[in-house]
Amino acid sequence: MKLEMRGIYKSFGANDVLKNIDFAVSGGEICALLGENGAGKSTLMNILGGVLPADSGGISLDGQPVSFRTPAESLNAGIGFIHQELNLVNDLAIFENMFIGRELKTKSGLLDSKTMCGRCREVFRRMDVDLDPRTMVRDLDASYKQIVEIARALLMDASIIIMDEPTTSLTDPEIDRVFDMMRTLQAQGVAMVFISHKLKEVMAVCTRYTVLRDGAMVASGQVEDTNVDELARHMVGHEVRTESLRQERELGPEVLRAENLSQDRYFSDVSFSVRAGEVLGFTGLLGDGRSELFQAVFGSGGKYHGQLYLEGQPVAVHGTPQAVALGIGYVPRDRKENGIIKDLDILENGSIVTWPKQSRLGFLDWNQVREDFRRQADGLKIKMGGEKEAIGSLSGGNQQKVVLAKWLNAGPKVLIFDNPTQGVDVGAKEDIYDTILALAKEGVAVVVLSSEAQEIIRLCDRALVLYHGRVQGELSGEEITDQEIMRLATGGSVQNEGVQQNG
Amino acid sequence: MDKVEKKSGAMGVLLRLRDLWRSNPLFSTGIALIVMVIVQTVALSMNTSFSSMGEWFQNWLQNWISLLRGNAGIGIIALGMTFVIISGGIDLSVGSVYVTVGAFIMVLLNTGESGWLAGMGLGGVPAILLGLVLALALGSLLGEGNGLLISYGRMPPFIATLGSMQILRSVTQYFMKTQKTELPEAYKSIARLSIGGQQLMPIIYWAVLAAAMYIISKKTTFGRYVFAIGSNERTTRLSGVNVRKVKRRVYALTGFLVGVAAIIQTSRIGSMDYASAGSGFEMDAIASVIVGGTSMSGGRGSVVGTVFGTLIVAVMNNLLNLIGVDPYLSAAFKGAIIIGAVLLQRKEKN
Repeated sequence: MKLEMRGIYKSFGANDVLKNIDFAVSGGEICALLGENGAGKSTLMNILGGVLPADSGGISLDGQPVSFRTPAESLNAGIGFIHQELNLVNDLAIFENMFIGRELKTKSGLLDSKTMCGRCREVFRRMDVDLDPRTMVRDLDASYKQIVEIARALLMDASIIIMDEPTTSLTDPEIDRVFDMMRTLQAQGVAMVFISHKLKEVMAVCTRYTVLRDGAMVASGQVEDTNVDELARHMVGHEVRTESLRQERELGPEVLRAENLSQDRYFSDVSFSVRAGEVLGFTGLLGDGRSELFQAVFGSGGKYHGQLYLEGQPVAVHGTPQAVALGIGYVPRDRKENGIIKDLDILENGSIVTWPKQSRLGFLDWNQVREDFRRQADGLKIKMGGEKEAIGSLSGGNQQKVVLAKWLNAGPKVLIFDNPTQGVDVGAKEDIYDTILALAKEGVAVVVLSSEAQEIIRLCDRALVLYHGRVQGELSGEEITDQEIMRLATGGSVQNEGVQQNG
Repeated sequence: MDKVEKKSGAMGVLLRLRDLWRSNPLFSTGIALIVMVIVQTVALSMNTSFSSMGEWFQNWLQNWISLLRGNAGIGIIALGMTFVIISGGIDLSVGSVYVTVGAFIMVLLNTGESGWLAGMGLGGVPAILLGLVLALALGSLLGEGNGLLISYGRMPPFIATLGSMQILRSVTQYFMKTQKTELPEAYKSIARLSIGGQQLMPIIYWAVLAAAMYIISKKTTFGRYVFAIGSNERTTRLSGVNVRKVKRRVYALTGFLVGVAAIIQTSRIGSMDYASAGSGFEMDAIASVIVGGTSMSGGRGSVVGTVFGTLIVAVMNNLLNLIGVDPYLSAAFKGAIIIGAVLLQRKEKN
């Protein structure tokens, strides 16, 4: 089976997402599809999977032109798409999951679980895995869930399997298990597309690669002819502007120090320190544990091991009220889930942190609240109709500024920004950067967590790169570059004279 | 909204009303209440004979006073339930807390031999005052117990209060099965004190507490936290709010209000049937809150709406009585009102 996509174009509005992409994969190949966030990988695969239509271009299977209008059509043609978020029902058994929506029935209309289990066992035998189809999916670890997804695709006679970042939530032994599985299938002539950021994994398991950048195909070839550095360079490109906003600032005393912080699954042995007036960055790929790390620092992430020091004093943070009282602030990621309260108005959303200070005997002084909020709203250039309107009436960027406003009012000693410009337009992004730098100038210790390398490069004086919950390396000043971040984030080690954290 | 501006005249007015109806639950609840009152007034006029306008008015007023007085207890409990539901929870134990506090008052203030305070040599006004304080403290404490199970025990409110509902009523009935009680006369005046020949005290308690709860819901950090938690508990916690403490206080406040209702009831009637008193109160209170436009999923609602909701349910019961509907059918009407009210209030999906 040989799949070819030729001259694929796709745009969303004025935004060209894919520009003349050629992509091919044949049986017995594992082809890596590489690119940064927003490069167009997912769009391309969604076109192949029948989720999105292409604007122009053609797909052919073994030379026959085909077109998929729905995921079902794509699946019937033998293309199995395994999404990043697994599509399994935890409370059903493996065989029920594998046959969901197309269950086999006996003549009397009851479920024919015997035949279904038998078919599952056949597939597992072919994949060379030992799984009981009657096991509940809940009891499987993440790698076996991935394997069940692959088995389901095979059960439906898929000869081409697309895997979207299959290893993000897996541990190293689990990753090896999935890779073994992929090699077995490769030997049987199945074609696989492996979408990933993790270059080391690509080098380990893939035979060919294609790199997308900003919707264009920038490189493709045999994996044996390349190396991690070259791939990282292709992904990032050279023309990216890195206009740094880094400033010369007088650094004050150390404000927050962490020693050997660990939490079972998320991070281990992380140490860092941040000084007044400093902007410290944390970055890494999905699953690096940076969000969990700082949720723990802020007292909202459950128990952890290790010791935190605030202004030299050892502290143990047990809850968010205590964190706020200590002078730690946290602007969370995922604004909709963690940032805004949709039934409260703009004013309340932009002030809730400081209510205890703005009330007497429990009664809120609304004049005070309004006055404080307005001062921040002006500084942040929030565009709004009126402060009593619903928070949902604002654009994403302005909502994010309201979230910032509630923390600015609190006057924290340390302010943690987790993906501060997620889903924010360019103008608001610059306003938020200005705010962050102004805070540092005022002597606040700032921590910026971001998955965008550019954000780290432009803002931070120093950056720690995490890989699977460990500090993979520290970069500072001019050392913070796309290539360095990408190499560390994919598991490489520090090349320059950076501080070796992890040995 | 654009549509409204394009239309003019009668059509425009209608569209504007429709938008108001959809956007503000108080508006639709208020309209429903007015309609109910009109129908009730008409029914009352047809059912009773009167010779003059003055007599008709006397009759109408008397009907209203007894209606309000009879529903003050459930109205006060519904105020607490409003906060519970806005915070995203539910309290099924209110009826059992009610009977437990009632029994506690009986035991404390019994003028017979087994009365606790009388046994300690306390009598008169001091005994009554102490009894009131202890009764309210017990109500708050039982509510606090629910709050602890929910916030620190991380139990779903439905389960925690379902449990305490069963435990409290059963234990109360067990201890009270042999009790014969008589309350002091002075205690009875708490609810029976007559003003201008009318027993208005329960209505006054209800009105004062409703006003207080309204102010708490709008003007205090606690009140606003309750809305914030019901709307998005995670964000509220990430804003440094002590969510557990707020939740505990919500249930304790409800317990306190249930205690007030129990005091009014025991003082007004002078006795309590431990097997049936307060049973079904949780459903009546929840119904009043929901009919009043508070969202079952939390974050949205109002104290004023709950007062309207309590009145709508009360007027409807009164109405069924007036037009002589079979009592077996009255619950069916109550159910229909709840379903109808929620259907009317639902927002159009965008």
